Amino acid sequence: MKKRKERIDRGIKVRSGDIFALCSWREMLYLSGPRLFPLIACAVLPLVLDTYWQRVLLSVAIFGLLAISWDILAQSSMVSLGQALFFGMGAYCSGAMDHYWHLSPFITIPLATIMGGVISTILLLPVLRLRGIYFAMVTLIIPLMLVRIIEATKILGGTEGISGLTSLPSHWIELYLSLAALLAALFGFRRLMDSDYGLVLKGINDNDRSVMNAGINIYWFKAQALFLSSAVGAFAGALMTHVYMFVGMPVFALDYSILPIAAVVVGGGGSLAGAVLGAFILVPLSEALRALGGLRIVFYGAFLVFFIVALPEGIFHFITRKYHQFERWVEVEK
Amino acid sequence: MLEVQNLLVFFENALALNDFSMTVKKGEIVGVIGSNSAGKTTLMNTLSGLIIDMAIKERRKGGERITVYGRILYQGKEITTTRPTDRVKRGIALARERHPVFPESSVMENLKIAGYLRTRAEIKEVSEYAFKVFPALMPLKSRKAGFLSGGEQQMLSIGMSLMVKPKLLLLDEPLLGLSPMMQKTLISAICNLQRESRITVLITEQFARPVLPIIDRGYVIENGMLTLSGTGQELMDNPEIKAAYFGV
Repeated sequence: MKKRKERIDRGIKVRSGDIFALCSWREMLYLSGPRLFPLIACAVLPLVLDTYWQRVLLSVAIFGLLAISWDILAQSSMVSLGQALFFGMGAYCSGAMDHYWHLSPFITIPLATIMGGVISTILLLPVLRLRGIYFAMVTLIIPLMLVRIIEATKILGGTEGISGLTSLPSHWIELYLSLAALLAALFGFRRLMDSDYGLVLKGINDNDRSVMNAGINIYWFKAQALFLSSAVGAFAGALMTHVYMFVGMPVFALDYSILPIAAVVVGGGGSLAGAVLGAFILVPLSEALRALGGLRIVFYGAFLVFFIVALPEGIFHFITRKYHQFERWVEVEK
Repeated sequence: MLEVQNLLVFFENALALNDFSMTVKKGEIVGVIGSNSAGKTTLMNTLSGLIIDMAIKERRKGGERITVYGRILYQGKEITTTRPTDRVKRGIALARERHPVFPESSVMENLKIAGYLRTRAEIKEVSEYAFKVFPALMPLKSRKAGFLSGGEQQMLSIGMSLMVKPKLLLLDEPLLGLSPMMQKTLISAICNLQRESRITVLITEQFARPVLPIIDRGYVIENGMLTLSGTGQELMDNPEIKAAYFGV
């Protein structure tokens, strides 16, 4: 008798439906476990790590935020190669406000988040009509252009950058603020993308003409998605400025554009959680490989290629599938 | 020429084709009639081997698992696991559902892409033949394929599958989305094609009325299962078919 492998859901619908979920600890844990895990991890990790790895964790949170920002954009049909634009915008906004107006970081960071978002959105508004690779090219070019503008006009500190900015009161606040922002962005935007609003954004990605046909102004929605995404990126930049107490041209560096994309590829796109998971894997990996010197990039690249070839769906989707479904062999009935 | 034995196709846990068997003899026009979601396109994809590629893609993405059981014999040799490109080289060509063409290329370029493996003389010969079968395409030679009408795209799509000089031509819902006039034109074109070049044709279709008169034998498929088979005339006279497909 021939056999085939059958996939069976673990009954997430029944488990998550009304009263059934409250029937036993096991059911409740099944539902809340995956959500509690990142919360607990983010609360405990800073306490158990030493100062060096705490810095790494901070950078994980920053890249996680950038990866979320990239994933939101990608889900709404805008593939960007310029996360550095959002990051740098936020960084320069908060840096300038701190340096020229002497505002406290707790005011500059939120303000820079919104200002960075608005400025980046306005900069990209004319190219919202572009799709795919054309939009990506524009986003790649703009940060590079801004670097040259700052260099040539010597505004905002020119090549020297602005140093001696106010730092946050303690490194614990830096760390927990970044992790809290990461979790808030993760859960908040996951919720948003599951709502009807998110459905429209995903619809634009799937087939923009059909969305237009439904009477929806896709450019207005795209602009909103762009603002959300760039605000997330700008927040990361603003926070980083106050951590380093410095803002300069490196904030527009290519690293901030490329690493988030790599994180989404490894973690799995379209879920936001995959983006964060990817950042949690890639950033520490890149730190751990630092000892290898020049060979670091080779190992790093090989790791990336391995994941793209072997697990194109991304780690997060793989884990989700295994968590929600099990497989068994059944006989093929005739 | 083609023999399908006990074909079972699963899309994950859903059974798309259930124990389907059929034979196609050389020089025949055979029809597979079925309503929506009967498994017609799955059958065509399995015969042309595209399902192997689909299965690999889905598996790598972690998507639906596609399982195929049963045997497909072509000219006496088993081709169940043969790659789609090799099947084309052995003479099985599929004109896919919804006439996918290369929208950015002109009609002539489309034909050239489809006939890439042929020599220049052969391309000229077969494309002239395609224009003879579908005269409507002739004046559209240099138009962009994406701007052709549905029927013209359908003709182009069939023309493209002719470019590989098939021995067995698979037509997946050739009448989909065409007006009754256009359907008649296309059907008579298919008839002429078969009469002139003596190739074997397998058509799947949900419009039984235009198709049944031209087929030598037909199979009726429902929910992936074979429910009826017989010659075209037998099927036309069958009261169930009359009720279900002719609305009499």
